[in-house]
Amino acid sequence: MSTAEPAAVTVRAFGIRTVRRRPPVGVLAAAAWLAVVALAALLLPLLPGFDPLHGDFAHPSAAPGAGHWLGTDGTGRDVLQRTVAGARASFAVAALTILVGLLGGGMLGLAAGWFRGPVDKAIGFTTDLLMSVPSLLLVMITVSLRGPSLTVIGTLIGLFTVPHFTRVVRAVVLSLTERGFVQAARMIGTAPLRILRREVVPHVAPVALTFAFTATTVAIVAEGSLSFLGFGLRPPEPSWGGIIAEGRTALGSAPWISLAPATALCLTVLALNHLGEHLRPGGPAAAKGARG
Amino acid sequence: MTPGSRTVLRHAGRTGRAAAVLLLVTVAALGLPHLMPGSPAIAALGPTATPEQISAYDAQLGLDRNVFAATWQWIGDALHGDLGHSLSTGAAVTTELADRVPVTLELFLAAQLVALGIAVPVALLSAWRPGGSFDKIATVVTFGWLAVPGFALGLLLIWVAAVHLRILPATGWTPFTEDPAENLRYLVLPALTLGLPEAAVFTRTLRGQLIDTLDQPYIAAARGRGMGTSRLLLRRALRPAGLPLVTLVGIGIGTSLGGSVLVESLFAVPGVGSLVSAAIVGRDFPVVQAVLVVSAAGVVAATFAVDLLYRTLDPRIAHEHR
Repeated sequence: MSTAEPAAVTVRAFGIRTVRRRPPVGVLAAAAWLAVVALAALLLPLLPGFDPLHGDFAHPSAAPGAGHWLGTDGTGRDVLQRTVAGARASFAVAALTILVGLLGGGMLGLAAGWFRGPVDKAIGFTTDLLMSVPSLLLVMITVSLRGPSLTVIGTLIGLFTVPHFTRVVRAVVLSLTERGFVQAARMIGTAPLRILRREVVPHVAPVALTFAFTATTVAIVAEGSLSFLGFGLRPPEPSWGGIIAEGRTALGSAPWISLAPATALCLTVLALNHLGEHLRPGGPAAAKGARG
Repeated sequence: MTPGSRTVLRHAGRTGRAAAVLLLVTVAALGLPHLMPGSPAIAALGPTATPEQISAYDAQLGLDRNVFAATWQWIGDALHGDLGHSLSTGAAVTTELADRVPVTLELFLAAQLVALGIAVPVALLSAWRPGGSFDKIATVVTFGWLAVPGFALGLLLIWVAAVHLRILPATGWTPFTEDPAENLRYLVLPALTLGLPEAAVFTRTLRGQLIDTLDQPYIAAARGRGMGTSRLLLRRALRPAGLPLVTLVGIGIGTSLGGSVLVESLFAVPGVGSLVSAAIVGRDFPVVQAVLVVSAAGVVAATFAVDLLYRTLDPRIAHEHR
């Protein structure tokens, strides 16, 4: 083997370790799908004629075909346009969730793992508290009292991912503080903040970012569930769960109304799971850390 | 300190923690009406409400006191078996819950049966030849399955079983005590909707645990004595590897309420989930508050039970701390 070739990388796909030269097809497909959805959600609304609220009353409940690639719903609105517009809601909520979850959980996890003792206990109590309330219910209640908005929904879902981020980060920090390089840094008198920044955070970041993939799927599914139950964005504003719910009554006659956004949602979650699994540092540890 | 007194102390600490969690959840639940912009009483009773009506409403929800006093009062009543009265029906919340809890529990148990019934055999077959063709297919299928959210799955099941094949009713419910056979027919689709996603999680967990367990020295010893892989799996590996499932089922009890909201509203099942979603829409605070506290108590109790059960099922950790 010549040294000019790219180094072989160890890839864990589905928990089986294989050695490959470039990412497997599945990972590329997952990344491509996410890119397509994200680009469509960002760019298509800029096109003239893109109006997910416009009803083509001449063609209500039209089957997928030339004029409307994914058909129309009961009031003649284009299902493809609505699905693309629905992706915006999902991604907006997910982005906010990650922001809140990463920041909140990252800080709490770092503090709990670094200081241990009473700080760890207090943070552990807070996470226990957050995990003992039914999160979906609490978001539903807040939305019904304060009105639906992407900000409220995203922030609250993010709040409920904080305990999970905290646990993941705390576990890594705890194991790092036992490691030689952190103890060495301590011993030569490095300031704690500098150790955190230079030695701990770089090791925590990949783990936290991998968990962010999981949190993204949680946010997308949660937003979908909320909209499906009628606690998401107000119709006619499209979101995946909302469109799926609207198509419920027409399952027999026009199944594409529900199936198109449902497929988009499932594929997106699948792609995120697959990428997260691919990028995860360490082995298939999915089952671990589930205690609690 | 003797080991006995240490155990007592640990249990006391855990109990105190659990009680504190419940207390804070109660405070938060009773504080919910304050989240509303404006006065909850005027929102509920309309602008023509008399001051007497408003103060009666506030008194019923404890809005005339500060939230801690209201919590104190609520907990006192709750300990006497009074969870308040529904604003919409006027019925005691305890009566409403007594009607609904068995339905949700039945659904939960049926879902666990579905999940375990699929996960245990599939995980055993996967672990029998890890990397074999069955394992590969099962791994891909469970991984894909994880991506299907409950409400989409439920809709798909309705589409297939109720709209196309017309073999099962899409929505509705008959209590078990009235007609067990009808009850089962109504139970199938909601139980599958709740159980199938869990089956994927259970399968992946159990498979990983089984494969890890097969690497243990005692398994190698048994193998050396001539025990075959299938007997090893069933007789030696399944029990220790199945322990995490106890945790998953236990945690599931706590989170089942969130899932049951979706499934019960999708299939029109009259359980706690549909009770609380109707109560949220109707601003029926006493019902919402009671369900929140009861469900938090359920999570706390389930965590406790899992912990105790672990000590019984796994003698290895009986003497370790946590």
